[in-house]
Amino acid sequence: MRRIFDYKTLIPRWIAVLLAVPFIILPLFTTNLATLSMIILSGIWAIAAMGFTLILRTGQFSLGQAAFMAIGGYTSAILTVKLGWPFWPSFLLAGVVAGIIAMVIGSVVLRVGGVYFSIITLALGEVIRIVAMQWEPVTRGSRGLITGPPDPIPLGVFEINFAVSAVPYYYFMIVLVAVTGVIFWQIGRSRLGGTFFSIAANPILAEHQGIHLMKYRVIAFTIAGVFTGFAGSYYAHFLSTMTPYMLGLWESIQIMIMSIVGGVSSLVGGPLAGALVLYALGIYLSRLPVYGIQQLLFGAAVVAVLLFMPKGTGLVDLWDKFWRKVFREPEFYEIPSVE
Amino acid sequence: MPPAGIWIDGLIQSCIYMTMAFGMVLVFSILGILNWTHGQFYMLGAFVVYYAFTAVGIPFPVAMLIAGVVVGGLGMLVEKLIIERVNIPSAQGALYVTVATMALIFFFEGAASMLFGMQEKGLAMVFPGVLDLGSLSVSYQKIAVIIFTLIIMTAMYIMLNRTKVGLAIRAAAQEPDAARLYGISVKRTSLLVMGIGCALAAMAGSIMAPVYAINPFIGRIPMIMSLLAIIIGGLGSLTGAIVGGIILGFVNSVVAYRLSYFSEVVLFAFVIVLLLVRPQGLFGTPLK
Repeated sequence: MRRIFDYKTLIPRWIAVLLAVPFIILPLFTTNLATLSMIILSGIWAIAAMGFTLILRTGQFSLGQAAFMAIGGYTSAILTVKLGWPFWPSFLLAGVVAGIIAMVIGSVVLRVGGVYFSIITLALGEVIRIVAMQWEPVTRGSRGLITGPPDPIPLGVFEINFAVSAVPYYYFMIVLVAVTGVIFWQIGRSRLGGTFFSIAANPILAEHQGIHLMKYRVIAFTIAGVFTGFAGSYYAHFLSTMTPYMLGLWESIQIMIMSIVGGVSSLVGGPLAGALVLYALGIYLSRLPVYGIQQLLFGAAVVAVLLFMPKGTGLVDLWDKFWRKVFREPEFYEIPSVE
Repeated sequence: MPPAGIWIDGLIQSCIYMTMAFGMVLVFSILGILNWTHGQFYMLGAFVVYYAFTAVGIPFPVAMLIAGVVVGGLGMLVEKLIIERVNIPSAQGALYVTVATMALIFFFEGAASMLFGMQEKGLAMVFPGVLDLGSLSVSYQKIAVIIFTLIIMTAMYIMLNRTKVGLAIRAAAQEPDAARLYGISVKRTSLLVMGIGCALAAMAGSIMAPVYAINPFIGRIPMIMSLLAIIIGGLGSLTGAIVGGIILGFVNSVVAYRLSYFSEVVLFAFVIVLLLVRPQGLFGTPLK
């Protein structure tokens, strides 16, 4: 009985689950394409930001996450358009290919840590963009590939058809985010997550405890690569196009900003909060008639969050702070530190 | 062997990357952070010189100095208002500074497109005419780029090695605690260094303003290139920044002559291999 009234763990988590309910029933009230696609795209960015946060948990700072989205997007686009595969196997293969590439690159590049790792991943993102632009026979260069919607899923009498409206995309995005979120949440709670945390907190101590740093860094990089690949594949098929300009360094920076502004103390909540708030902010700002004011206010908002939030916390920690205010608990933040 | 014009182009590119990378390393050696907004200060410098030269009619060398002072002041403002407050003393400080300066990229690009408009601006040749050397001809404009860069780098050398301010900067970079004991205000020194670094970026931008077109997004590529130059030369080494800038400028133009777009792939591959073989760069002190 006591556990049920243990408000510190129970009430915020229950209400956190309740927060998902409006998103699940949203298509009952509106099927407006603009609203749905805003949430779908912020969900995709949230998955990429989760990958970034997971890598950050091991103390590394990747600036090439959009490149893994591009790898995933191109893999499924090439498989469906050039080879005529159906969507679902190519979607799965997109994640696998992105994961394998992440593992190969990671096992070479993670040997140099810190700011060097950031700059090498940045360079790799640019290399992938240039290859996509120049490899005309396969990627059609800067004209890009035109992808189709996912194949309909037959369900007895009726079928889920992606071609007619955005609602199936919306629900598939919710499933994708939920699955990714649960997996990342479990990773964060498990022994593996604890190991990641200890590597970031004190690499030297962790190494002396017998933890193989490289192994765990590569594992984190690979897991992030797999899910970022899924996100990229879904992104390409939702926008029904894949060009080299869609995913570059500036998108990697955007993923990083979403993750940090959302808060790095939580593997799932932080990226979700950051992606939803910042992407929605970006969309609403882009409706303003003055060109350039969007970037200006976006940058100003990010700097304001960094300046005025308590140091080392993001948007997601407001949630914690709110419940601590309600129950008059002293404030205490657990911040994963970075090498 | 590429024609001589390509080599001169390489020299010109070396000049900007060198000046930019020098400023970035100077900031890094005192503040311990990479200023990702450096490319946007380059862009702002080009705009300041454009308006000072065309709208007000100030002579070009004076306009360059004005650009340096204005943008240097802006850099000091950024340091005082944002970087100093975001840079918490724990290991996370560097992370938050990185994010803040990257957000400032969007801020300054948005501000520039609002203020100055999106269309490309060209500063007509400030120094018209061409120097004819028989088989080869070089415009006076390009010669001016090289001369101005030489003047700036010499001034930096004298400032760092022959004046008291330079001594304070070098001391604060080497041993901040000892420098503090000898009465050097490290805080004020880092503010000054941030101003100098941003002024260097602005001057690089204003030197190049008559050669390339100006728009709010010209800062992106020089920023990435000067980052690579720093990595080649070694993070925290001023000599390394200069040598890295020169290597990068020549590789970028001479390899591009043969391989066009794939030259960037070659460049990045070169940097990756260099980092794996020699992680501290050419002139950096060994790690650990």
